[in-house]
Amino acid sequence: MDLPIRLAKDSKTPIYHQIEEQVKALIAGGHLQAGTALPSIRALSKELEISVITTRRAYLNLEQQGFIKTTQGKGTFVAEVEADKKKEVTVAAIYQALEKGIETGLRHDYSIEQIEEVFTEIIAKLKEKGEKANGELD
Amino acid sequence: MESWIKVNQMEKNMNDFKMGPIELEFESGMIHVIVGGNGSGKSTLFKQIMNLVTFDAGSIEVFGSNVAGEDEGWKKRIAYQPQTLVGCDEFTGRQLMQLISPLYPNWNQSLFDDIARSLSVPLNKKFGKLSQGVQQKLAIALTLARDTDILLLDEPTSHMDIPAKSRVMDLFVEWMERGEKLIILSSHQTEDIRKLADYLLFMSNGKLHGKFVKDELVSSFKKYWLEKELSSQIKLPGEIDRKNNRLIVTNDAEKAEAYLLSHKIGWIEAESLEMDEVISYMVVNKNGGVL
Repeated sequence: MDLPIRLAKDSKTPIYHQIEEQVKALIAGGHLQAGTALPSIRALSKELEISVITTRRAYLNLEQQGFIKTTQGKGTFVAEVEADKKKEVTVAAIYQALEKGIETGLRHDYSIEQIEEVFTEIIAKLKEKGEKANGELD
Repeated sequence: MESWIKVNQMEKNMNDFKMGPIELEFESGMIHVIVGGNGSGKSTLFKQIMNLVTFDAGSIEVFGSNVAGEDEGWKKRIAYQPQTLVGCDEFTGRQLMQLISPLYPNWNQSLFDDIARSLSVPLNKKFGKLSQGVQQKLAIALTLARDTDILLLDEPTSHMDIPAKSRVMDLFVEWMERGEKLIILSSHQTEDIRKLADYLLFMSNGKLHGKFVKDELVSSFKKYWLEKELSSQIKLPGEIDRKNNRLIVTNDAEKAEAYLLSHKIGWIEAESLEMDEVISYMVVNKNGGVL
């Protein structure tokens, strides 16, 4: 089967790491259930237009971390992942996304305080929208 | 991953052409794509691996056997497909199959039938009457069905149309999954390279300019649109091209970016290169140097 993985070519995150993160997110989000067959290393490499060396590295790391398992001659499958571990992945993804935003601010010479202000503003806007949406529902 | 083919300091001198010295290994489990223009020496290298063309210095080993040695057992484990098949014109596809199949102990008839069918190759027509694209399809069926450990393919898809090419790429991928296999192919087709290659090798003028893991090579290239013009006195690390002193292309993105950061040179955008741009820079290095 194919996986909905998109590689950001311009990203500084290594490609194998991007694959790992996205597969973990698919598993943590319940989009890939335990026992689901994953594409072979060769097939995924063709799909993503990368070397099997890179794909193998991602699969090895995922296997070591217990997210997938390979059975000789049968292929690679999604492993049973505990709820705690899934939660960890989600939390890590949120942290990472926020960190990235903060880094963007710092790169544009914003101070931490200024970034905090932006953050508060965004949250405030979202809350306002949420209240409106709720209001309409009522 | 095991090294199945070793080329050790191989050199050849022809009248107006010097090849090598070439030092190179091909590993199992990998698809190697050799990119190079006409006269780069890639077809000669293929023939040397098959012991069809001699060399003057160094050695080539396939599965540990010297290709120029007495023991030719290794030849049963490697299938070579030249750019053009010579002497086949008067035979039909079926006759060619009957001639070739007994020579290979692993000949897989059902694989041949499947490939011929999926590529719609007419087996009752004489080879010489087929279009170049269909000749290539037949050649691929005749080569893959030998089910050898190694495939050596010299521009196997150059005359095919897009759907056929895409089908053949799937066939190569399926073939790689039949076990521990190795493919070496030469190609100018960016599609082949993008979809199939694990390693990319570049040749020109009889020299080999390195062997690269495909995505590592691509990610080492980057172009930067700078906020201000960069003095022509200053060269960025890995710089290989520039336009108007504002757009700079580097093949060492990591060092170039570190340089820009430490010298407080701002950029509006940094972008990776497309595969065909990377290949153009690798094949025709504008600064004349070897990467």
